[in-house]
This record gives sequence, structure tokens and C-alpha cells, in this order.
Amino acid sequence: MGRRLLEWLELFGDAFREIRVHPLRSMLTLSGIVFGAASMVSMISLAGAVQRLASDDLKAIGLPRSFSFQDRAPQPDAVGAMAQRHPGLRMMDMQALASLEGVESVHGFNRAFMLTVGPVGRRNIDIEGVDAGYLELRNMQIVAGRSLRPLDILNSAPVAVVGQELVRDLFGAASPIGQTIKLNGKKFLVVGVVGPIEITFIPADFSFTARRIYIPYSYLTRYNRSPGRVDATIVTARPDVDFGTVFAAGVRVVRNRHGGAEDFRIENDAAEVLSDLAMADGILDGWNVVMFTIGGITLLVGGIGLFSVLLISVRERVREIGIRKALGADEGDILRLFLSESLTLAGLGAGIGVGAGMGLLIITELIVAKFGRVYTIPVNVPALIIAVVFSLLAGIIFGWYPARRAARLDPIEAISTM
Amino acid sequence: MSEALLHARALTKNYKLGQVNVPALRGVDVDIQAGEYVAIMGPSGSGKSTLMHILGCLDRATDGQYILDGSDVSNLSRRQLARVRNLKVGFVFQTFNLMPRLTVDENVALPLKYRGGISRGERKQRAMKLLDRLGLTDRIGHRPDELSGGQRQRVAIARALVGEPTILMADEPTGNLDSASGAEVLATFEELHAAGHTVVLVTHDANVAAHAERVITMADGKIVA
Repeated sequence: MGRRLLEWLELFGDAFREIRVHPLRSMLTLSGIVFGAASMVSMISLAGAVQRLASDDLKAIGLPRSFSFQDRAPQPDAVGAMAQRHPGLRMMDMQALASLEGVESVHGFNRAFMLTVGPVGRRNIDIEGVDAGYLELRNMQIVAGRSLRPLDILNSAPVAVVGQELVRDLFGAASPIGQTIKLNGKKFLVVGVVGPIEITFIPADFSFTARRIYIPYSYLTRYNRSPGRVDATIVTARPDVDFGTVFAAGVRVVRNRHGGAEDFRIENDAAEVLSDLAMADGILDGWNVVMFTIGGITLLVGGIGLFSVLLISVRERVREIGIRKALGADEGDILRLFLSESLTLAGLGAGIGVGAGMGLLIITELIVAKFGRVYTIPVNVPALIIAVVFSLLAGIIFGWYPARRAARLDPIEAISTM
Repeated sequence: MSEALLHARALTKNYKLGQVNVPALRGVDVDIQAGEYVAIMGPSGSGKSTLMHILGCLDRATDGQYILDGSDVSNLSRRQLARVRNLKVGFVFQTFNLMPRLTVDENVALPLKYRGGISRGERKQRAMKLLDRLGLTDRIGHRPDELSGGQRQRVAIARALVGEPTILMADEPTGNLDSASGAEVLATFEELHAAGHTVVLVTHDANVAAHAERVITMADGKIVA
């Protein structure tokens, strides 16, 4: 075994030497395989990077482990006592949901639209009454001050976190932290400034999330409505539990509590994210098929180039083959001689191609960075392995016939060729 | 059974040229003893090259029997024939036939590569020993095109001898050399013969053939003298 390996190593060394004798021809021969391997590695890695960015964005926009209940009026077909009795979505529902197995958090949520007066300007603004931890759940960054805290919620405290894009209109150049704003005439202390839901890749506009004001939902509950009512509640499952089980249990609990009154709507946010992800995956899988096909065809064309050059090489070296045979080389020796050259060429092509593909990825990163976005595009390892294996296979398949032709040459005829 | 090193009986060889059979050998009997220095002589077309190819296991006779060093090689496969060539025959050609891209020592070591199982180091060592014996030590590391014709042919002789063959076959070894270099090469063959090697030399030149112990003369595919 070790001896065989040594013999092959020597063959590859000799093949490398032979290739170096015709550097230009060898490089031209390799070019098809280089392009094939490079396109496979770069395009599929790029697709993978796009896939990851898109899925990160979809997860940031959506709520991949959450479902929610939205309050609504009882349906017109609800009859009799049931229609009378509808309680609406309540904080009691939230408590029941919070006690379920596998639930990580239950967030209350209320909406309002209020005339907002700041030190500099006044505007009608969407107000979101949210729970502690909600801004974090939505991937919104606190850019100054602090977020809403559980005590703010518990006390229905008149504190506000202001969306970044409102700051200039309401406060001018001054820092908003510690200042007072009036929402429908009621004073609120500004404790923080928040940025929008952050997405990096999907061409969607979520800047509106930085044009809102976030206050404790409990304040709006008291202010707006009958005590204890909420517009919505968002339930998030722990990552280590089965989402479907938690979802089913949550729906059952709320339905039971409402005694059949259809005064809420159920939204499976996680399922929406999943279906969006599946769609994105489907598109990118299609892209991968296209890229593998293009790469494969390029490799095939590269293999044919290799084939023709090897045929020429065999023809040029007929006399050498004859001499080797006279010295005792058998057909296997000659076959291995040319096959090792073909494999070395293909291997070099694959190596250069993979390197070029990785170089393309780095160039892409640099170009994207010029536009102010920093992405790292990791090399897709399976694509790299497939590119190398296919290149070597092309080397064997397309090297086989020329090598066999060389091996079959008659030594006497070969030696008398000039 | 004959004790001859090479023992050939009733060798015939026909070449097919389209539909026509062209006989190159028409029943040749040859015996060459170990340690002999034999010249096969004849004009071109006499069949001497064909005979050498068959005796050197580069080709097979159409008919007849050929026993080389005690084993019948008349009906071996191409692969087996290649093995026999590697183990038992050393060739020297008119045009040297050195590998232009290999150095002198690599050229000499080449037959050992096809023997298999000999390490690179040992191959090199054995090549060096022969180059030393043929007075070519100072040419080690050079390529064939940096050598004179006579030196090239001596490198080719070293290559033919490196595998310690049973028989050394030379096909017009002086054909491409000036007379001084030719004399040098012929002297080398004589030295080898004196050292016990069996040498078969094919030539059309009677002056060259005269260096041998015995001359086999061919004409029209037969031995005539």
C-alpha cells in the first residue's frame, strides 16, 4: 500500500514537471475546469449567504417562536347569552397563558393614536402600549437611555421610549432623555430612544417602527378601556420546547376561558415566519440547481478541453511512449502516466478554481462594504467538495481515452515514429 | 533442450499490408550462447530488424518457437512481454532515444522505475554506478542535449545495462555517430563482452559487424551465412 502510494506520488511529481514544460497550454487546458469550479464555489456560497441573510431578516421581522391573540368584537352570529357575556381579551387571559408549560413570555399590547406635544413640535403619532421586553423581542435597539422595565408596566408609569426618527421633530437638537412630552395632554417622562426593527438584506421598509412612541401597555389599559382589557397579547414559547404543543395549549386555554365567545383572533406568527422561510429556501434551492447545472456544464466543457489537449499530447509523445515501452513499461504504466497528468491538470484546475471562487467572494464582500454593509460570505463547504470531486472525475473520465490510446500503442511503430 | 541463452526455431513473421501478406522472416533458426558477441548483418529489408525486435521481445513471431533464458516467450501476452523486456533485455538504438527532459542519471534509472519495488534512492544509486563504469560521472545532472553523440550513446548503453539484463541488443548503434565516437562505442561493447555480457548487434555495416565474434548474415528474411 505504502509502495503504491509512493509510486503515485512520483507519477504526480513527474506529471507536474511535464505540465510545467508547457505552462501556457496547461493553463488554457485548465481554464474550463477553473471556471467551472470557481462558479460552483462562488455562486453557491453567495446563494448560501443570501439565504442566511434573508432568513435572519425574516426572523427579525416576524416572531419565529410566538403566537398572538387579537381582541375583536364578538361575531354577529354569536347568539343569546354568549353574545352578552363576551369578556374581550384580558390580563386574566395573559396570566392563564403565562402559567402554561413551555411559555417563555406573555406580552400585553395596546394601541392608540394621540396628539403628541414635545418641547419643539407637535404631531399626531401612533402610540404602542407594550410590555417589558417587547422592544427586544422585535429586535429594536435602544440607542439612548433605557428600555421599558417590568416596574414601569406594573406601576402603569407615565414613561415613554421615543422612536429615533421622531426626536428631531419633537425635541430639536437637544437630547430627549429626561424631557417631558404630552400625550393627549398627559405628561410622560422620556426614558429612552429606540431604533427601527433591524433588517440587513430584504428590501422592505421597517423605518415606521422608529416613528412611534412606546409606553407601558398597562397605562393604556387604564386610560383607554375597561380595566384589564388588552388589544392583543403575544405568547412566546421557549426555544427548547415544541412550539405546536404550546400553541395548541394556549389556544385551548383562551377558548375555554371565553366559553365559546369568538371575541378574539388567533395569529400564528411563527407559522408565518416558517412559511416565508420555506418560500425563501425554495427560491434559493432553485438558484442552487441552476448554479450546479451551470458549473457542471462548464466542468464538462473543461473536461472536453482536457480531452483534446491530452489527445494532442499523446500524439506528440508517441516516440517517448515507444521508448518507455521498449524499456519495459507495460500498458498499465503508460495508462497511469497519462492518467496522472490528466488528474494533475484537473486537480490544479480545481485548486485554482476554488481559490478564484473564494477570491470572488472576498471581492464581493469588499464591493458590498463600499456600499456600507458588512457581510461575511462563508464558503459553502459541500459546494467546494463537489466542485473538487467533479473536477477530478472529469480528469479521470476525459483522461481515460487518451491514456488508453497511448497505452495501446505498438512499441515498434511508436519507436520508429519521428 | 538446447543450452543456448537465446534459442529460436523456425521463426516467421508476416506483416499485413492491406490484403497482402508481406513476409519479413521466412523460417529463421538462431542460437546465441551466453557471453557471445554476435552481429546480425544484412541490407535493409533483409529482416534483421524484425529478427531483433522478436529476439528483444518487442514483437512476437507469427510462427515458430523462441526460448529466452530457459523460458518460452513465443506466446506471451503484451503485458508479460513488457515484463520480459524489462527484466532480460537492454536496448541501444541508433538515435539514442534518451528522454530529452530527464537528466542523464534519470534516463539511466528509467528502466528500474518500470521494474517496480525499487526505491528512488536505490534506482539513482544503481544509475550512478553504471555511469561511473562508463566514465560519465561528470555528466550527471545534465540533459541529453548538452552531451555529444558518443556520450549520449554511452548514456543509452548505461540505461540498457542498469537492469542487469540477460542480453544487450543494439540496433545500428553507430549509425548516427562520427567515426571516432562510433569507435568509442564499439570499444565499449567489446569491454562489456569481455566482462561477460551477451551482446547482439544489428548493422548493415560490415566494418561494424567485424567487431563481433560471430556474424549472422541475413537476406530476404532468411539467414544466409
